[in-house]
Amino acid sequence: MPPRPNAPLSTTALALSLALALAWTPGCGGDPGEAGAPTESVSGEGIAPGAPATSLELPGEIASPDRPVTSVEAVEDETEALADSLIEFAEVLRKRQFDEAREWFSPELVAHAAIGHAEASRAALPLGVERIKYDVGASSGVGRDGFIDSLRVLLGEWRSVDSMLWKVKGASFQRGRSRWGRLDLKIHITGVDASGGMVSVHGRGDARVTRTRGRFLLDQLLLHKWEVERRAAPIFTEVAASTGLAHTWARFGTDANNSFHWNGAAAGDVDGDGDWDLFVPSDDQNFLYIAQPDGTWTDEADERGVGSPDSGTGAVFFDCDNDGDQDLMVGHTGWPLAGGKMGGERCRIFLNDGAGQFADAPGGPGLQEPFVAYTLTVLDFDGDGWLDVHVCGYGRVDVEHNNSWTEASNGSPNGLLRNLGTDEDGAFLGFENVAAAAGIEDVRWSYAAASADVDLDGDADLYVANDYGSNRLWINQGDGTFVDGSEAQGVVDKGSGMGASFGDLTGDGSLDLYVSNMSSTAGSRILGRLTEDIDAETHALLKKLAAGNSIFTREGDGFARTPGEQGGIGASWAWSPALFDVDLDGDLDVFCTNGFVTGELAFDT
Amino acid sequence: MVASSCSSAPESGKFAREEVGNDGFLARHNGQIFAEGRSFSGNERDKLFLNDGAGSFLDLSDLSGADSPNDGRAVIAFDADDDGDVDLFVHETQRERHAMYRNDLGTAPGFVKVKLRATTGNAEAIGAQVEVVAGDRKVSQVLSRGAGFISCQAPELIFGLGGAPAATVTVRWPGGAVEAFGEVTLGARALLVEGAGKAEAYGAAPRPLPDPKPRGLLVSVGDRIAPFEVLDAAGAPVLIDPAATGERVALNLWASYCAPCVAELPLLEEWDAAEDMRVIAVSVDAPSDRARALELLGQRAPALGVHLAGDPRPGVRTIQDVVDLARLPLPTTLMLSPDGTVEEILRGPVELR
Repeated sequence: MPPRPNAPLSTTALALSLALALAWTPGCGGDPGEAGAPTESVSGEGIAPGAPATSLELPGEIASPDRPVTSVEAVEDETEALADSLIEFAEVLRKRQFDEAREWFSPELVAHAAIGHAEASRAALPLGVERIKYDVGASSGVGRDGFIDSLRVLLGEWRSVDSMLWKVKGASFQRGRSRWGRLDLKIHITGVDASGGMVSVHGRGDARVTRTRGRFLLDQLLLHKWEVERRAAPIFTEVAASTGLAHTWARFGTDANNSFHWNGAAAGDVDGDGDWDLFVPSDDQNFLYIAQPDGTWTDEADERGVGSPDSGTGAVFFDCDNDGDQDLMVGHTGWPLAGGKMGGERCRIFLNDGAGQFADAPGGPGLQEPFVAYTLTVLDFDGDGWLDVHVCGYGRVDVEHNNSWTEASNGSPNGLLRNLGTDEDGAFLGFENVAAAAGIEDVRWSYAAASADVDLDGDADLYVANDYGSNRLWINQGDGTFVDGSEAQGVVDKGSGMGASFGDLTGDGSLDLYVSNMSSTAGSRILGRLTEDIDAETHALLKKLAAGNSIFTREGDGFARTPGEQGGIGASWAWSPALFDVDLDGDLDVFCTNGFVTGELAFDT
Repeated sequence: MVASSCSSAPESGKFAREEVGNDGFLARHNGQIFAEGRSFSGNERDKLFLNDGAGSFLDLSDLSGADSPNDGRAVIAFDADDDGDVDLFVHETQRERHAMYRNDLGTAPGFVKVKLRATTGNAEAIGAQVEVVAGDRKVSQVLSRGAGFISCQAPELIFGLGGAPAATVTVRWPGGAVEAFGEVTLGARALLVEGAGKAEAYGAAPRPLPDPKPRGLLVSVGDRIAPFEVLDAAGAPVLIDPAATGERVALNLWASYCAPCVAELPLLEEWDAAEDMRVIAVSVDAPSDRARALELLGQRAPALGVHLAGDPRPGVRTIQDVVDLARLPLPTTLMLSPDGTVEEILRGPVELR
């Protein structure tokens, strides 16, 4: 062991040395070593030490342009340029390159500091989460050096700054040669604080930017919200590397990883030893992670016969031949053929020999058909005891645009693979596609489906989430056919459906429905750019898209949309929802994957 | 939705069909922006919403430890270690593609786990709905295989008891028959067989998931640190060989913006002055902050040598082969034996240990 100091620094001494090291001198240069007046508590909360000693007067409000630029396109161009610039700034700040961060602010900046505000309220939230709201309005302002130094004090103690977002939620610009604008700014910072606890900062404010030498600089910043949330430790610990599950691969967009289809995951006990194995299809290789008693997994995809073909999308474990073990079906999307036609790709079925060894089986006529498959959903739609599979067919993205942004009808057909059971010798006969006869050969751009007995009549119904259009609730008639109940039951959820799951979110014993959507900024932005003249219907749709995900609670014979104020839906480009009880308190919580492509440059599109 | 950076809307009813080869229009329209490293709806992290039991949700994503920026797609919520709470596996689109999130909340509120076997319909009871009543809480789940987005959950349902000592369980089997299984007690692993009317216990198979490797480190305890390159005060490359000193080495990573790092510089200087110990303190500051780092070093620990992290260079081993600067918490100090082997990893201020 290395020599340890005889007298470890006390917390107070540490705080003092920190303050000296940082020379926190509000409103002036913050020159290290310069005799500054250290504030009373830099450590401890680390967020809100005493108010700055010197202060500047802040404007009562940020002025709005009196001759605003009115062209939607021009405003959008300016806004986008500003947003990109702030993304770049946020990345510099996330890396705590404070000296570089100065360049985004005018020397004449007057701003609320990032620290030093009086505490307005402190709330104890569930799971030991603490939320502190600050009374920013009571604070005076600081100049550029003071503002940068306040960020330095706020973030300097953190062990890591994990996420830093400065988002433009709205903007208007003054016409004329000396252009300036007023911004509605949202600030969101997350990280790990000095004590290893999780911390996040939520800020909202108005700002003024002025164009100087072709570049916008912030010269006024008035915060009206500044909140900090903390938890002593994260809820989850990421253990992929120590459990043998880690797989590092190229950034999306590079040659090794640039396909616009997405790979799923499936859990099941493939070798019958009582723990959960994982199948993870990938573009580069498949993984069959076999759970080991020591808490790790080992990839045995090749040895166990599921190493190829790769590039699978949805995958499901289920016992297709009723022999008591877990078989595996994998969907694929397909490839464009010469002449612009889509080849599609067949789903594969791998039969388990009972010991976790798989063989690629022909699978009957249904598995000779090409699909552009995403989510596979197992259900026994005809109640014959043999498990069937619904296949979501998406669009042929490589050769054909969606023919509408709001009700696309040129997706590839969905499939319903009816299980043909086994012959008299016990050989598996495979599947046939009966989607057309069942009335669900839908040609919307289907990404995801979930099955449950929605109307409690004893058969399996199906909810299908569709991109570029309306979702469908297919009600099983008990005779092998389905009828569309989405309008009647209030679950059309028009927009860009990405995922769906059933679960009781209200604790009344009935199954509710959670639908994930591509939404918010991305959705509004994409659709908003499509046309100059937005009609009422499109406007309503845009509004709906900005609402995020959807929670439909079971009410009587239908569903009711949960109001947005109740939370739980605020994702952005959301993908797979999972409903489970994270804290075992007796109700179901929601986890939802989120985000389209996070590149390495500080530009978003 | 697939990203489309083209501004023209497809005309309704018409296909914008193009004759293409293996390189579809998406690759042409969007591939380029991603090849350049741009984002599209990027930095939108995975979400965790906590149900308050009264119909509202609290967004705990930021504090979850599971809010990866790697563009998650599929997610499996399952009890990976059989300790009774729900862990998560997430298939992400890029970089560290497989994330395994161990639930560290513990099982104090109690749980029951349920597996199903049907005797009349499909034997796996896929589509069965299980209702659990514990104290004043009621909740239902459906056994599904294939839902969410391209995600297939494990065939085991986990119910939290919220502090209640036991729960009553009812199953609605595929086909519609409703069967009461009576009371199961806290911690039970209950196999529910259709028609049995009574739960059967199934065995626990606990397999604790190992603790994570230290974040941001590309080496572990026991690894030998090979020589690597840093920059000196003038920005010139210098090769550091930890084993060359023949003494124990504290390899410290710090930055000027990191207050605890700056605070411990004098202590490191003290260590360096000890007889059997050398300190190699490497500033990971960006070029624009290097002057500040040098200034602080001069004030706080003038006797310590100057080492600055440079950019990665092809064919040259640098400090970035030892640590992942984007993820490394600061300060981090690697305690090395005289032959350069990592003996201990100190996270956070060294004097506080």
